[in-house]
Amino acid sequence: MDSHSATFTFLDHTADLGITVTGLDPKDLFEKAAHSMMRIMIEERPSGKTSLLQLSVSGEDYADLMVRWLGEILYLFQGEGKVVTCIEICSITQSHINATLQTVPFNPKEHEVSAEIKAVTYHRIEVVSENGRWKATIIFDL
Amino acid sequence: MTIKLEKLDDYRWLIPQTGAMRVPGLVFADRDLMKSIQDDQSLTQVANVATLPGIVGHSLAMPDIHWGYGFPIGGVAAFDLNNGIVSPGGVGYDINCGCRLMTTVLRADEIKPLIKEMVSALFKNIPSGVGSTGTVHLSKSKETEVAIKGAAWAVKMGFGTAEDLERTEDRGAMEGADPSVLSERAIKRGQNQLGTLGSGNHFLEIQVVDQIYDKEKASHFNLFEGQVTIFIHSGSRGFGHQICDDFLKIMIKSDANRQKSFHLPDRQLACAPLQSDLARRYLAGMACAANYAWANRQILMHLTIETLLKTLSIRPEELGMKLLYDVCHNIAKKEQHLIDGEQVMLCVHRKGATRALPPGHALLPEVYRTVGQPVLIPGDMGTNSYILAGAEGAMEHSFGSCCHGAGRLLSRTKAVKKAKGRSIHRELEDKGIFVQSRGKRTLKEEMPEAYKDVSQVVDVVHGAGLARKVARLRPLGVIKG
Repeated sequence: MDSHSATFTFLDHTADLGITVTGLDPKDLFEKAAHSMMRIMIEERPSGKTSLLQLSVSGEDYADLMVRWLGEILYLFQGEGKVVTCIEICSITQSHINATLQTVPFNPKEHEVSAEIKAVTYHRIEVVSENGRWKATIIFDL
Repeated sequence: MTIKLEKLDDYRWLIPQTGAMRVPGLVFADRDLMKSIQDDQSLTQVANVATLPGIVGHSLAMPDIHWGYGFPIGGVAAFDLNNGIVSPGGVGYDINCGCRLMTTVLRADEIKPLIKEMVSALFKNIPSGVGSTGTVHLSKSKETEVAIKGAAWAVKMGFGTAEDLERTEDRGAMEGADPSVLSERAIKRGQNQLGTLGSGNHFLEIQVVDQIYDKEKASHFNLFEGQVTIFIHSGSRGFGHQICDDFLKIMIKSDANRQKSFHLPDRQLACAPLQSDLARRYLAGMACAANYAWANRQILMHLTIETLLKTLSIRPEELGMKLLYDVCHNIAKKEQHLIDGEQVMLCVHRKGATRALPPGHALLPEVYRTVGQPVLIPGDMGTNSYILAGAEGAMEHSFGSCCHGAGRLLSRTKAVKKAKGRSIHRELEDKGIFVQSRGKRTLKEEMPEAYKDVSQVVDVVHGAGLARKVARLRPLGVIKG
């Protein structure tokens, strides 16, 4: 999935920033959530030399998995200077994700950061299945 | 969820103990501020904190309280060392986010024509914004030294004087820092961010003292009307964030595996018993981040002095920049407090709250022993900031704590919507405030209307006796990330 095809809705949170994301199934939901987070940070489609990497994340349940999954993608940006542009989740259970990610190196001169997400919080984290759709609520620390 | 409130007096509101709450909540606010506080989820968060084991007295909220994650921002809670907990969410991601105020011997009318130039030079020389890196690159062993020695490391490297340490909370280094508990990720993120301002609500401001409320204390703080001051708001950068994130995840996992004797109303309140090894390790890591933040603000002060000397072409004695005080507002500290007539050691969490020690307190440096601790309350970009002095009421009512700022009123999304079609930069310039920022949306998100009226917040802490107003500072120039 490409980062610019994801859609999300902003929640009104006084200090930080929250979103709700919906997906057809957990795979779709987790891919969309990751792309939404990247798009909040870097609005323009990022360009640069792409690299591939494998990511494997474990959690206690879907909600914990969502925080850890997004946290890993955020760390790639904050700690490794890698902007995730494309995500393919290869397998997902409620406690584990295996994914292949495409990244480009962050270039502060070219990639304008519109909002710096500093952390993915557990506050009001929710991943639920409602009427055949999957929905996540996520609050980010800015 | 509707939270019941009982008005105790003009400045205090009680949240009665109900349900799983172990103690009542206590909110410092006037009637007007309470209206906006009730608009978000912050009172529910005060009640949630009151459910945590070992909480003592009240779950407290300062008048700048607003909706955070886990703890409210502006929240203070103290826990018994034997049966209480420590919560990384009660400290926040930006461990030892704090304020540093420097005085000068310059008068604002002397430098007014040069403000724009000063702002540009500071903006150029002080790294800010996302992904910014500092001029000091740390090897792993040097980073370990910073994490243990804090501001003293920066002073040793030539970024300040021993006198600066006297005027820094905890002399710029918390005890108990142990870098061996840190993850490789935390160490990596700390290596190149020392001496950087950060983004979001972090700032460096050139100000003028425009009103003195208490002549005696102001004189003790070396403040005079018309004087130029510099205010820095910054923290432990990615290093502190990573440490909080690492321990939060460990505590979530430990909560999930532990047979818990209590229900956690919000996962972000994940915590560890203060007697556990996990709590010891978190506090040791937190102290590393706190010390990093003090070294960071010490270096930012040094960069400011260097920049202003060059820009104004003056000698150090003509600038006369001195540290008034440096205080943190995101921290958990083991402190002694009087509970039911007995001195008891407690772990006080201050998340978006500043320590405020009254005159005579043993932890005060000699220079402030008779007047009380300088309490630094930044306004938002474009509005006034305040200097207060700690008062006895803080020891009686708030575990020696006070508000930390204006407190957000509008979410960032609402602020950006409200600023649509407006030039915030121009509006501020019309008021005589020159601003430079790196982030595209920062000025809109941080515009004055996005915050509560800081003077109202300060009047509440003054009226409630937590701290006394000393002086007001008006902004002249701001740099933001």
